[in-house]
Amino acid sequence: MGRPRAFDADQAVSTAAALFATHGYEGTSVDDLVAATGIHRGSLYKVFGSKRNLHLTALRGHLDHEIRPAAAAIAALTHPGRATAAAVASFDGGPAAGLLLLAAAERAPHDPEVAALVAEGFAALEDALRASHGDAAPEVASTVLGARLRLRAGLTASKEH
Amino acid sequence: MARIAVDRENRLLTAEFEGLDKLWAVKSRLEIPLAHVRGATHDPGMAREPKGIRVAGTHFPGVVTAGRFRRGGERFFWSVKNPEKAVVIELADDESYDRLVIEVDDPRATVALIENALTR
Repeated sequence: MGRPRAFDADQAVSTAAALFATHGYEGTSVDDLVAATGIHRGSLYKVFGSKRNLHLTALRGHLDHEIRPAAAAIAALTHPGRATAAAVASFDGGPAAGLLLLAAAERAPHDPEVAALVAEGFAALEDALRASHGDAAPEVASTVLGARLRLRAGLTASKEH
Repeated sequence: MARIAVDRENRLLTAEFEGLDKLWAVKSRLEIPLAHVRGATHDPGMAREPKGIRVAGTHFPGVVTAGRFRRGGERFFWSVKNPEKAVVIELADDESYDRLVIEVDDPRATVALIENALTR
């Protein structure tokens, strides 16, 4: 059987998340992952099984450590304008910023497990905005995600937010 | 080059080797229960990894790597001539190999086929 793990799996997952968030799933090769994490290819396969499983693990980590805390902070705001601004500023704004949006655009249409995680992330945002926007929360959430996409593209978010 | 197929009814992954590939790899067919397949990845860079010790098969570096290899306590099955088309299939501990590295005609389609079968 394989040798004992001699690396920090959590650290490897966040490094992988940043790569996937920058270059996308297809744009990140196993070579890139091996070079950035410093983990041997064999150990990467042994621990995660496949690039897809590593991506799913990274996406779950992004949801747990970045998306949900951001959603909790947004849910604490009742002023609609402030809640929306906070959402645009912070939602998907952690070290792996963009991972959720890229996963939604690139992988969700082909991978039901990615689609489910993306849906969880979007639902967290919608629920967080309910305190400030009530029934309009889904629409506002879509606007926030659109604004995040524009920010990612280097375009400024619309002035009203 | 191998033809990888998924038999959903019997929950089996099969890899068929034809012509000379059968000879290089000393195998004409591999059958792995899907429950023992952990994942599949298109990985052209895998071919640059040290191959370890050949147990059976053929190794002309840079030309063909085929057959059974051992390295660092792990057991590999290789059948690759063109690294660009190599797919790495990671198997569970109770299989006879830890990892299969197999050249296929369409790596993207093969990986999707295996992943879909695993996701169900």
